[in-house]
Order: sequence, then C-alpha cells, then structure tokens
Amino acid sequence: MQLIGQILHLLITPALWQTTLESGVLLLLPALGGVISERSGVVNIAMEGMMLTGAFAAVAVAEVTGNPWISTLVAIAAGGLMAVIHAVVSIRFRADQIISGVAINIFAFGITAFLNSKITNFQGFNPVKPSAQLPYLHIPILDKIPFFGPIFFDQNIIVYVGLFLLVAVQFMLFRTRLGLRIRAVGEHPQAADTAGINVYSIRYGSVIASGLLSGLAGAFLAIGITNVFNDGMTDGRGYIALAAMIFGKWTPIGSFVACLIFGLGTSIVANNSTLNVSRDLLSMLPYILTLVVLAGLVGKSIPPAADGQPYTPGSE
Amino acid sequence: MAAPQAPTKPAKPGETSMPVIWAKQLGRLIGAPIGSVIFAFIIGAIIVLITGGDPIQAYQGLFCGGIGLFCTGDLYSSITPALEISSTIVFATPLIFTGLAVALPFRAGLFNIGAQGQLTMGAIAAAAVGIHYASWPGFILLPAVLIVGTLAGAAWGGIVGVLKAFTGAHEVVTTIMLNYIAAFFLYYLLRGGPMQLAGQPEISANVGAGAQLPHFLNGNGQLFGQPIGVYQAHTGILIAFAVAVLFYILLKRTALGYEIRAVGQNQRAARYAGISVKRTLIITMLIAGAFAGLAGGVEIAGLSHQLTIRYATDSTGFDAIAVALLGANAAIGIILAAFLFAALRVAGPVMQGNANVSQNLVDIIQAVILFSIAANFLRTFKIRLPALRQTPPGEDAPMVATTVTELEDTEPSEPAEVGDTA
Repeated sequence: MQLIGQILHLLITPALWQTTLESGVLLLLPALGGVISERSGVVNIAMEGMMLTGAFAAVAVAEVTGNPWISTLVAIAAGGLMAVIHAVVSIRFRADQIISGVAINIFAFGITAFLNSKITNFQGFNPVKPSAQLPYLHIPILDKIPFFGPIFFDQNIIVYVGLFLLVAVQFMLFRTRLGLRIRAVGEHPQAADTAGINVYSIRYGSVIASGLLSGLAGAFLAIGITNVFNDGMTDGRGYIALAAMIFGKWTPIGSFVACLIFGLGTSIVANNSTLNVSRDLLSMLPYILTLVVLAGLVGKSIPPAADGQPYTPGSE
Repeated sequence: MAAPQAPTKPAKPGETSMPVIWAKQLGRLIGAPIGSVIFAFIIGAIIVLITGGDPIQAYQGLFCGGIGLFCTGDLYSSITPALEISSTIVFATPLIFTGLAVALPFRAGLFNIGAQGQLTMGAIAAAAVGIHYASWPGFILLPAVLIVGTLAGAAWGGIVGVLKAFTGAHEVVTTIMLNYIAAFFLYYLLRGGPMQLAGQPEISANVGAGAQLPHFLNGNGQLFGQPIGVYQAHTGILIAFAVAVLFYILLKRTALGYEIRAVGQNQRAARYAGISVKRTLIITMLIAGAFAGLAGGVEIAGLSHQLTIRYATDSTGFDAIAVALLGANAAIGIILAAFLFAALRVAGPVMQGNANVSQNLVDIIQAVILFSIAANFLRTFKIRLPALRQTPPGEDAPMVATTVTELEDTEPSEPAEVGDTA
C-alpha cells in the first residue's frame, strides 16, 4: 500500500515526465532511422554504433571548436559515414545485414575508444564546456504553466527537433512519392525495379538517413545530456531503439510511443529516490515489456516483406 | 529472392586425383577465414600507422602478449611468455562454449546474440548452488554446479526458441532483451540483493571448495619467476573440448543434427520432409543456451569461484559471434578461432602498456574480420583478378546471402556430407 502511494506521488512529479520525454526523443531519433532503413528492406541493428560514433565526433569537435552547432553537424556526418559502410557491405557486397550491423557496432566501439585514447593520450576528453553544449529552450510564459510547462516548454532544443522529425518522417513515409518508393522497395524490390524505381539508390539513401539520425542522437546524448564522452557511452540505447521500432510495428508514431515507454522506464530509475524498490529490478521492466509485446500478447509485429534480403536484379 | 545456389558440385571421379580435391576443399574451407584475418591485421596496421604508432611494435606486443612469441627487445622482455599462454587458455575456455552456442543456431538459421545472457544466467545458477551447498563433497557438488548452470542457460535460450517457434518473434531482438534482463538480474543480486557478500560491493561469497575445477598447475612454488597461483589455466578447457566433440557428433552423426541443418538450409523443404520446424528451433535454442550456461558454470567453478558483475559486463557473448563466424560454425574452427580471439584479448593490455597503442585495436581487428567474412571481400577481389582464378567460373559467382540461412548454403564445408545424410 505504501508502495502504491509512492508510485502515485512519483507520477505527479513534472521532473519524471520531463526526463521521460527527453529520454524518449533520444531513442526516437535512431528508431526513426531504423524505420526508414528497414522500410527500404535493409535490416539495421547498427544504430548503436552510429550513435556512438556521433557522440564521439560531437565531443571531439566541441573540444576543438567550442561550437555546439558545428559539433552536431560533424556528429551527423560521422553517423552517416558509418551508415555508408553498412550500406556498401550489405547492399553492394550483399553481406548478411545482421552480421554487418554487429560488425559496425564492434568497429564503432573500437575505433572511438582507440581514437579517444590516441587523441587524449589515455586521459579522456574534458567535460564539454557549457558554451559548447546544446542549449535548453525555455519558452517564455508557456513554461510557467503548472505541470505541463516544464514538460513541454523547458526542453533541450533537440527534443523539439526530434518531435518535428517524427512528424516529418511519418508524413514522408506515408504521404509522399518518396515514401511510397521506399516502402515499395522494402516490400517487393523486383516490382519496384520493374516500375522504374532505382532500388539501390533508395536503399543507400535510406541506410544513410538512418546514420544521420543516429549521429544526431549521439550528439544529443554527448553534448546535450551527459556532456562527457566515455568509451561505449551509448550503452545499448541503439539496441533499445531497435526494439522500440519493432514494438512500434515499423511506424514512426508507433516507435515514438514505444520510445516513451522506454523513456519512462529510464526516468523512473533516475527519479526513484522516493521509491523503495531496487533500481536494478526497475530497470528490467521495459525489457520484459518488450518481450511480452514480441510474444504477441499486444498484437503481432510484421516486418516489411523484403526486410533483410539483398536485392539482385533479375532474380525471381 | 535469389534462386537457390546449387551445392558445390562434387568433382567427377577420375578427373582429378583425390589428394588434389582434398587440398582444394581444404583451401576453400580455410582460405576465407585466414584471408580475413590477414586482411584485418593489414587494416589494423594501417590504422596504427596513420595515427602515428609503430605497427611492428604493436603486433610484436600482440604475439608476445597472446602466445608468448617474440618477447624480446626493450619493450617486451619483462613479459613472462608462459603466463601469457596460460591466460590465453583461460580466456579461450568460455569463448569455445559460447562460440558453439552461437554456431549451432546459425546452422538452424537462427542468430543467437544471447550467448551473453545465457552465460550470465548459467553463472548465477551455478554460483547459487555452489554457495548454498558449499559443504557438499566435490564429487556431488561439482557436477551439480555445472549441471545447474547448464540447465539455467538452456532455459534462457529456450525462451528464445519458444517465442520464435510460436509467435515468430525475431531472435535477434528477444536475445538482446534477455541479455539486458539477465544483466540487471545479476546487478540486483549483487547490489543489495540476496547474493551480495555482506559489506562487499558487487561480489558474492565463494563457492565451496568441492565446487572448484582444478588448475593445471598447483602448489606454492614459483615458475618462470612468477608464483604458481597466477597461472590460472584450469581444466575447464578440457570440458570445452569435450563439448566441441559433442557438437560435432550432434551435427554430423545424429538425426537431430540432420534436422537442424535441414531447417537451416530450407525451412519449407524441411517441413515437407516431415521435420517439425518448431520443435527443431526450440531444441536448437535449448542446446545452445545449455552450451553458454555451461560456460558460466565452468567460469564459476574454474576461475572466479564467486559471482561478480563481470559476468554481465565483459564481451564474451559478443566475441562469440566473431568466433563462430571465423570458425565457419564448425567445431575445430571454433576452437582455433576462440584461441585467436582469446590471445588478442590477453595481448591487448600488454600492447597498450608496453607499446602505448590502445588495446581497442583488438576490437577494430575483430570487426574487420567480421566485415570481411560477411561481405566476402576476398571472393569479390578474386573475380576482379581473373589470372588468379583457380576454380571453375560458376563457383566464383558473388555470394548471394539473403539470410543467415543462405549464407550457410554457400558454405564449402557442407557438400562433403550431403551424400550420406540425404
């Protein structure tokens, strides 16, 4: 009974929901990337590595330039570069896309840690200076609204960017010609090819887009939230974004709902000083929930028909 | 979907002598893995070179730190080669088990990223028994610890198999989720939970003396200037070899092994042949989980003798993926690959400490090996150089691996036994 009271008290704390939205958008960016990539038929479990590369690039550039915007752009490009490797290996060389993804994740961990120790002579980067951090936007007047103000109008700028991208990607995939092409290539590449769509360019573009979005997420994490770089600092967030994407049935909106659930999990753990429960047990909940969802208890997730299959012109 | 590739044609009798065929088959079997390793070392050397390091010093460190070779000169003369070899054996032991735990599902067309979580659960269960029944005599306690670890891993793997068989939930995602759940469960147990040693952070009590696997070297003396106690190589490696033999027999000499391979090559065909695909998937994941769970039990019994956070945080389960792929999902290949990656892991800190090159070079090399095997760069390279071509043109067609399943199809190790099983 006492526990229920504690939970209720926690649920009406604005800080809980503020962190939920922030963590949710952090996961949403790579999840959107995953949606685009997999809708075009390329399985992408490499968001983790692309995000980590972005995080490293952001902190490294922030240390040199002190400018958050240049750092963010370089981070986006770095994520994109990793995606190019995944795209070439899985589209041009028709490698197994899951193995390529695992390799990207190991490679990203290795190369960022290697360069980190090389550049800083094993000392690690300094914490990111406040002037080089991505700013929080306090929207005047609106942020004074009780409860909702801090949640929606006192957030990092990337939160707003992420919400905009959510709408944009949803619209792009389901309301534009480009979106139709991406989905066609992911469902039936042979038919799309026959209809004159260039399967390879759509797939290259989609995979690279996932890298750009993951790189942005890396920048958000490293110079917006933690403001420091540690080896392997993404700590599985890319994998969670992957789960959120499947949870959300390969749609942007659905993925966002799933990201918010994972975000709430993170947020409860971060704000649980009032709860009398082991934070490690609490941390298990989102993963158990995902398993339950995958077990089909909340409806079945069906991937795009050609997801994971390399395209060979003229086959079948 | 690409048209299924014809299995490699057996050479017509009388055309070429058998030793030549065997030599060619052997070449195809080990050519890609060895080529991939060499390719990865070249890329690693280039990265060291452009970041201002000395690749020769770095690789001398990897050889010295991993297998005790070339420990000469100013940089490495302080290293004890025998100790490095002993540590490599220690690291190779869990990699063989988990490599097999990844390879068996590969053969059935499943990608087991969950060896890590299965190992964690095996270690938890093994430690729980070893601590709770610490007073039992060794001839009961040691088998009990290993068996319980095996069963816990099997259960954790079995969940994946059941979900895959009955709901189609993709094993990549379920195994990742189960890895996290196992890790947080371990954290909970050791951070204020029931298995934490009172007053000690993040470790459990020791298992009973009867639960410990013997080391190869025992005593209080010195060996090569080091106390014997630091040579931690333990008899768990013999269990690993035994399980590798079991893996070979299971795949090649039993009906179940045939069913696993049939499901891996073509689920529909397997179903028409009367094989229950669901049952095969579940049993495959149960056995794979058992292998990884036994790794956890053997690590508890042979190495740490207590539960620590390391059982969730080290990279054994992920290294296992590279081990299985480099080992071509075959028992002997997995043993060799496990020793290679173990040597690299042990050598990394030696290289970093003595030549000032970050040990993360090892991760880079490992990733490039994976890329190279998955993308089959070398085969593509060979096509571009027709003069080097050895095999008939048909066999050199670029690999079309639509799934892990088809990747298996093109594996050169298969055709040899198609005849005796079909």
